[in-house]
Amino acid sequence: MKSVSKAPEVKFDTTRIKRFGISALGIALFFSFWHLLSVGGLVDPIMLPSPMEVFRSAGALVKTGELQDHITASLLRMALGYSIGSACGIALGVLLGRSRFLEALVGPLLQMARAIPPLALVPLIIFWFGINEGAKVSLIGWATFFPVWINTLLGVKGANPLYIRAGQSLGARRGKLLLRVVIPAALSPIFSGMRVALSISFTVLVAAELAGALAGLGYLIQTSALSFRVDNIFVGIVVLALLGFVADTLFMTILYWLFPWYRAEQTGK
Amino acid sequence: MNLSMVQTPPFVDIPKFINVDSVSYRFDPQRLALGNVKLTVPLGQFVCLLGPSGCGKTTLLNLIAGFLEPSEGYVFVNGQVVDGPGPDRGMVFQDYSLFPWLTVLQNIEFGPSIAGMKSSERRERAMHYLELVHLGDIADRYPTQLSGGMKQRVAIARALAAGPKVLLMDEPFAALDAMTRSRLQNELIRIHELERPTILFVTHNIDEAIRLADRVLVMSPNPGRVVSDVLIDLEKPRARTSLEFARLYDRFEGEIGLESS
Repeated sequence: MKSVSKAPEVKFDTTRIKRFGISALGIALFFSFWHLLSVGGLVDPIMLPSPMEVFRSAGALVKTGELQDHITASLLRMALGYSIGSACGIALGVLLGRSRFLEALVGPLLQMARAIPPLALVPLIIFWFGINEGAKVSLIGWATFFPVWINTLLGVKGANPLYIRAGQSLGARRGKLLLRVVIPAALSPIFSGMRVALSISFTVLVAAELAGALAGLGYLIQTSALSFRVDNIFVGIVVLALLGFVADTLFMTILYWLFPWYRAEQTGK
Repeated sequence: MNLSMVQTPPFVDIPKFINVDSVSYRFDPQRLALGNVKLTVPLGQFVCLLGPSGCGKTTLLNLIAGFLEPSEGYVFVNGQVVDGPGPDRGMVFQDYSLFPWLTVLQNIEFGPSIAGMKSSERRERAMHYLELVHLGDIADRYPTQLSGGMKQRVAIARALAAGPKVLLMDEPFAALDAMTRSRLQNELIRIHELERPTILFVTHNIDEAIRLADRVLVMSPNPGRVVSDVLIDLEKPRARTSLEFARLYDRFEGEIGLESS
């Protein structure tokens, strides 16, 4: 059994290395293209600074500690808003998924609210709450809530009836059935919802910071634009791209580590 | 309808452990899925419900499990009326019902854990049943990593570990290939001889019914009912080449064919 499973594992590793190499090549090509575009005189280097220049500007911002402050400010808002939004989404998703009354009562309202693009609420939130932290955190929480909520709701309602029957005939009822069968059975869709929410919350974060903030990556981009520092705008954009990528990778890594079965289910390993 | 096919159960003195008392079931007002089914099963008997699709055998099993409620009549298990599913009636389903978020061992521990058994005790119990189905070495794997045959063995171990009074099996081997199926049938015979659970086993496979059962109830559709009740008093495992096997096969085939045409 062991010797059989070993052979494909090695093969898998080489294909992984190959794929990694190809990805690295793609990224290198992209930056070379960007570099050529900037130094080749095709576009004004003031409008499109070269990658090197962006890297240098980033270095300067790191030296003064400015960049770290912006990243910290943004990440704190994100973490807080995302946690609150996810927690509310899961809680309401489970409640509505288990109670027909509640679903009929607030389901349609939430479905309508879900249709509002979160960005449309930015001016209103700023108008109501000013540019303090609460406004931005609640906006991120709002945007996080909906994908998590709808996925939890569908996950709980769509939980495989076979698992529920199995749980019941093993003695689980009501609370225990919910906690130990229904919610675990809904975890896969809940995780998908949380993953989608993670990328949405980045969008909303930047939008909220552009509209008004005293620190944060959105704020960095906004003030850099006002002072014609296109290089620093790019610093903000690149850092956001990196953060988004790292956040998603980290999210999946943590999930796979916390829930080994989820990895087995998703990757068949 | 040929009423002369219906036989009264030949035993009288053995206590009735499962008692299906004049049960009818309708999915909708027009269609009678089960019509006035009466049967009793004594403790420890291995019973196969044999019949074509649509004869109500799975419905009957689900009524005993408590997933469905009879439209008329009552189901008693161990003297108590069935109202809803419970841990005294273990289920093994045709489709794989193992919880994918738990390891094999945790799946088997699920029943004892719900019942509030201490963790060391339930681990020991789970390992006992895991070894009973010869899977002691895969305790920490997840169900998605198992073959179909392994999954059903774990499902049997999980159902037994909850300490049910009766094991209800709904075509548990139907999705398996012929060789795995045959191996699992032998294992089930062995488990039945070791632990003596009462088993109700639904199948549409005549061969399977004759190999496994102490008693075969042949069912027929429109409305679903028991048309034949046969005790098989042959040593297990049973050779397919024996004359008795062939006779029973022909008999059941006739009963199923005759009633469904």
